Amino acid sequence: MVAESLDDVSVGTTVRVRDVTGADPVSLRLLEMGLTPGVAIRLVGKSPFGDPLELEVRGYRLSIRRQEAARVAIGDR
Amino acid sequence: MTPSPLTVVLLGNPNVGKSTLFTALAGIPTRVGNYPGVTVEEKLGRFSHRGRQINLIDLPGTYSLLPQSPDERVVVDVLHGRMADVPRPDCILVVADATNLERNLYLATQALGIGLPVVVALTLSDIADRKGIRINVDELSRRLGCPVVRVASPTGEGIAAVRDHVLDAAGGPAPRQLVIEDTAASRGDGRPPAAAEAIARYDAIERLLAGVIRTEPARGGIAEERIDAILTHRLWGTLFFVAVMLSMFASIFWLATPLMDLISGVMDSVSSFVAALLPEGAVRSLLVDGVLAGVAGSVVFVPQIALLFLFVAILEGCGYLARAAYLMDRLLVATGLSGKSFIPLLSSFACAIPGIMAARTIENRRDRLLTILVAPLMSCSARLPVYLLLCGAFVPERSTALPWLPLRAVVLAGLYALGIVVAAVVALSLSRTIFRGPPQPFMMELPSWRWPRPAVVLERAREAAWSFLQNAGTLIVAISVVIWALMTYPHDERAIDADVAALRSSLEARVAAGGDGDADRAELIGQIESLDTAEGLDAARRGAAQRGSFLGQAGRFVEPVVRPLGWDWRIGCAAIASFPAREVVLGTLGVIYNLGDLDPGDAGATTALERRLKAARWDGTNRPVFTLPVALSIMVFFALCAQCASTLVVIGRETASWVWPVVTFVYMTVLAWLGAFAIYRIGLALGW
Repeated sequence: MVAESLDDVSVGTTVRVRDVTGADPVSLRLLEMGLTPGVAIRLVGKSPFGDPLELEVRGYRLSIRRQEAARVAIGDR
Repeated sequence: MTPSPLTVVLLGNPNVGKSTLFTALAGIPTRVGNYPGVTVEEKLGRFSHRGRQINLIDLPGTYSLLPQSPDERVVVDVLHGRMADVPRPDCILVVADATNLERNLYLATQALGIGLPVVVALTLSDIADRKGIRINVDELSRRLGCPVVRVASPTGEGIAAVRDHVLDAAGGPAPRQLVIEDTAASRGDGRPPAAAEAIARYDAIERLLAGVIRTEPARGGIAEERIDAILTHRLWGTLFFVAVMLSMFASIFWLATPLMDLISGVMDSVSSFVAALLPEGAVRSLLVDGVLAGVAGSVVFVPQIALLFLFVAILEGCGYLARAAYLMDRLLVATGLSGKSFIPLLSSFACAIPGIMAARTIENRRDRLLTILVAPLMSCSARLPVYLLLCGAFVPERSTALPWLPLRAVVLAGLYALGIVVAAVVALSLSRTIFRGPPQPFMMELPSWRWPRPAVVLERAREAAWSFLQNAGTLIVAISVVIWALMTYPHDERAIDADVAALRSSLEARVAAGGDGDADRAELIGQIESLDTAEGLDAARRGAAQRGSFLGQAGRFVEPVVRPLGWDWRIGCAAIASFPAREVVLGTLGVIYNLGDLDPGDAGATTALERRLKAARWDGTNRPVFTLPVALSIMVFFALCAQCASTLVVIGRETASWVWPVVTFVYMTVLAWLGAFAIYRIGLALGW
């Protein structure tokens, strides 16, 4: 199965953001942190309990929970 | 006429070296406090440059000028001159991390739109160099339309230039805004305007940085990657984390002890010096037992606070604090908290006061408040002597079903576990009820590894200790004086004489009634004999005075409330009188049981107290007061109660409200009572 959103990408993979779903402040903050459509994201790792995730985006490391990662749709638009 | 001072604000993302730049420009802050009406930290400093005074305001770290948190709202209000008592800034000094320019420019370009002069300081430029990140500063400055200065803290590079540019720019024209073009991609399908703007802004930043920044293969990059790989490794990273946390905890637990002993020693000498100067009486007692005891009681926390903040500042400075939160998040989310609660809660096992103060590192207000509310449930080092004495005296010395596991160790571990479990349940229920709200997103930058700056680390420790003494210390002294008065008055000599006489006759009656088989006979005779010595009589009179004081009377008054816990009124007295601090309960038990002052660290004193407690009987009967269920009930009560005035004072200061200390005291006392009642009843039912 091809991963649809950032929460089911495997560690070490680089993917491209297709869109951030939702129109609430959480989605806005994801965009403001640089997760905009077209940007490349690498899943660097997962916390020992599987959540949160460690991402590399725009040259820096960001940690978000799976719950938020599920809003990030990936793949080419 | 001297020109009026300029107001310059430091604006930047969290963790970009804002504090370091603040210290480099202005040194030690002239004021650290809260903005009026909100618990958002206000940090002010001052320096002068070319004869002009410049007031520097360090704004809370923020990612965007579209505010989502109270901190971010304060930032926007200050920038627009809408904050009471803060003049509209003359210049915005944007602090941008040179190693992470793209995202940092998001806030920087927003700042260009405020309509104030802007100067951009590129911090961590030395690290960017090492990473092979080459930034054409002149071209960046030209494209942004405002001065851009490279800053590197180890060498002090750029500090003078920042001062020059700020002074030149202040009060001058604002730079032009960055042109942000809406594109089809940014508008999307029915996307809110703010989201469309965010996307378009990043597009504009990408265009702006094209040709300005390039990355060469790094020289030091390999080592850094390797460190990163180990520290984020599932196994090695976790082991390293455990080792770091253990050493931090051990140091606030053990390293602080000699310092605390030193402070106690010095304060004792001061007390005896003052006591020797003054004649015996109310004034001496007020000074020594009230004021000086209160001063000692607050200064004694300073080593733990300073050490913990030293650790936190080092962890924060090298970028590991966020990593700790990342590693522990999942565990704490289950209880409604977040990973950032971990260090405050861990520290609370040494002492809740530094723990509650360390909750300042939690940006999310709901998480911070929840952490503060449950931190005092962690069994702090002050509870340990209470547990040890009562376990040693009343829990039988035998092993459990497992031969290598002593029962006492199980009880002790159970008391620690009780605090953790109750804290988890309380946090979970609060987060589902009064703290229920929209989902709290967790978006945390994991900063790259770097060396902490000693000046910043020391400043954090100094500031934490000083703010505690300044804000909480005075109130702790005041409370200590009130408690002293309640434990000293009324002082009725005749009532004391009568009490001592009654004590003697009740002891004699017990000796007469009990046969030779009475195990306590020797202890009882010893007690009668001690009443004939000056020392023993004095101790008994002090006990009588305390039992007759307002607090002692309160103990009798609450007897119906503590009776279901298996306690007599004396235990009630001791519990109430230990309100200043839990560990005082042993001392107050000592006084109430006519042993005079005792040092809980002294083995002889504690065995004397153990014997005294074992010999205690319910008034007018031969039924022992202290049985295993009663001892367990007292221990459970002290595990869960909020008998620590200093903690409540610090909660009040940290939340800028008296509501939360009251809430903490009430909920913890109710839980303590229920827990003590339950264990007592279970103990009785099972015939322990």
